[in-house]
Amino acid sequence: MSTAPPPPALEFSRVTKTYPGQPQAALQDLTLRIPRGSRTGIIGRSGAGKSTLVRLISGLETPDLGHIQVQGQPLTPATLKQLQARTGLVFQHFNLLAQRSVLHNVTLPLELRGTPKVLRERRARELLQLVGLEALAGRYPAQLSGGQKQRVGIARALVTDPDLLLADEATSALDPETSAGLLTLLTELQRERDLTLILVTHQLEVIRAATTHVAVLDQGRLVEAGETASVLRQPQSAVTRALLDAHRPEHPLLAGETLHHLTLPDLGAATLDRLARQRARIVRAEAHALGVDVWLTAPDHVPAAELGRTGLGGTGLSGIETPRLIPEVSA
Amino acid sequence: MTWDVLWPLLWQATLETLWMVLPSALIAQILGTALGAVLTLTRPGGLRPQAVVYRGLDAVVNVGRSLPFIILLVLLIPLTRLITGTSIGSTAATVPLTMAAIPFVARLVDGALRDVPGGVVEAARAMGASTAQTVFKVLLPEARPALVHGFTVMLVSLIGYSAMAGAIGGGGLGDVAIRYGYQRFETGVMIATVLALLVLVQAVQWLGDRIATRTDHR
Repeated sequence: MSTAPPPPALEFSRVTKTYPGQPQAALQDLTLRIPRGSRTGIIGRSGAGKSTLVRLISGLETPDLGHIQVQGQPLTPATLKQLQARTGLVFQHFNLLAQRSVLHNVTLPLELRGTPKVLRERRARELLQLVGLEALAGRYPAQLSGGQKQRVGIARALVTDPDLLLADEATSALDPETSAGLLTLLTELQRERDLTLILVTHQLEVIRAATTHVAVLDQGRLVEAGETASVLRQPQSAVTRALLDAHRPEHPLLAGETLHHLTLPDLGAATLDRLARQRARIVRAEAHALGVDVWLTAPDHVPAAELGRTGLGGTGLSGIETPRLIPEVSA
Repeated sequence: MTWDVLWPLLWQATLETLWMVLPSALIAQILGTALGAVLTLTRPGGLRPQAVVYRGLDAVVNVGRSLPFIILLVLLIPLTRLITGTSIGSTAATVPLTMAAIPFVARLVDGALRDVPGGVVEAARAMGASTAQTVFKVLLPEARPALVHGFTVMLVSLIGYSAMAGAIGGGGLGDVAIRYGYQRFETGVMIATVLALLVLVQAVQWLGDRIATRTDHR
């Protein structure tokens, strides 16, 4: 039964990077393995080293010390071109070319590789269909909404059929509902296309909603890494706990918002009360882990304290989904 | 002077002006774009930083921009002779006009290329674009509206310069204004020439703006 495990999708070995003129290293002795086929979140505050990590993976910077392996191959100037083709990038501000149509934005990576026009346009149309934008192929980026632009960004990132999809704050510039839709799309694409998805973010919501693994960075160092559920349930570092504290969803949940990997104490009594009133659907962690989603609907007006008696209290909720349209609760 | 004399005179002069200006503008646009792109690439923080090359070219462009055209006209007479075989006439005037416009275009192109969002350029680089691909597939196409606008501004300036070239035998509208209007005190011809220049400049500006707007997808 035992076969050699495939190499990790991405491996950082003791990587240090300092920018010229900066007193502190942007990344300090970073060792990190991103499992193949995972959806790994990389979270940290600004200045944690997230952008440097992205720039190193995409080949825009090279490490001062240590080395990086992509799909088991060392990232060097000689392998850069080839590895860039196997890595798709999605950006916070989309970085679409304003003077190119949607179709020709998606064809660009293939054009840079010299793929013939007919082939690259056919391929781009397939990808646009995948992200639901085939009807907008002839439009220009300025004519699209933020969410649509990011779908074009995703289509462009996938057009070279990469193994690794790297999304750098891909939903940070978008409203929560659009964000949730994009995270769902990314998650589906990761599963269907057997990708390794890396989500770089400062938002804990993104980690909760879409990742299987998480790495926490702070001041250029890795402070914690592991499976998302266990890191969020039992954070080992003060930095992670601070992130969790800052993101307790005491704010009203938005329509359609899905929270994953929550535990009941995360939520607080008032939120639970409201969730119960809103007929929030609650997913059991255990069932989720087996790949079977069991949805339990909390009955009307169940006080928070009683949610525990439904058998969900205490340890593991893997998700709470609020209904898309929340009716006004009349007094 | 009557209309049937003035009209062919103006028409002939307008054609001469265009003959001086248009080829100069086209050549200057090509060479100036190349120079502007090199400035953008080699400047500190550019895609291919080359401090020495950048400082040298930057100085050359500044000198070119600050030389009064009338001086350039005289300074370049040997070069003009070398290229066109003569130093008088409309064809000869294209040499100093081109040389005056190149640094002007380079400056405008450099500005236009630097206005292309850095994120877009980095995205292209991360997709594996070479420097040449970044220039030809990203920087220049994305800067197209600004480049068209710059071309228009340059064309209008060249029409102005061409009047000076006329003064030393280049022909064109400026030549007519000076020979008839100034030296023979024919105020009517002077006014007609100025009006012709005005119409020409307006037409160029209108057309340029229209093309820039039409082709801008932002």
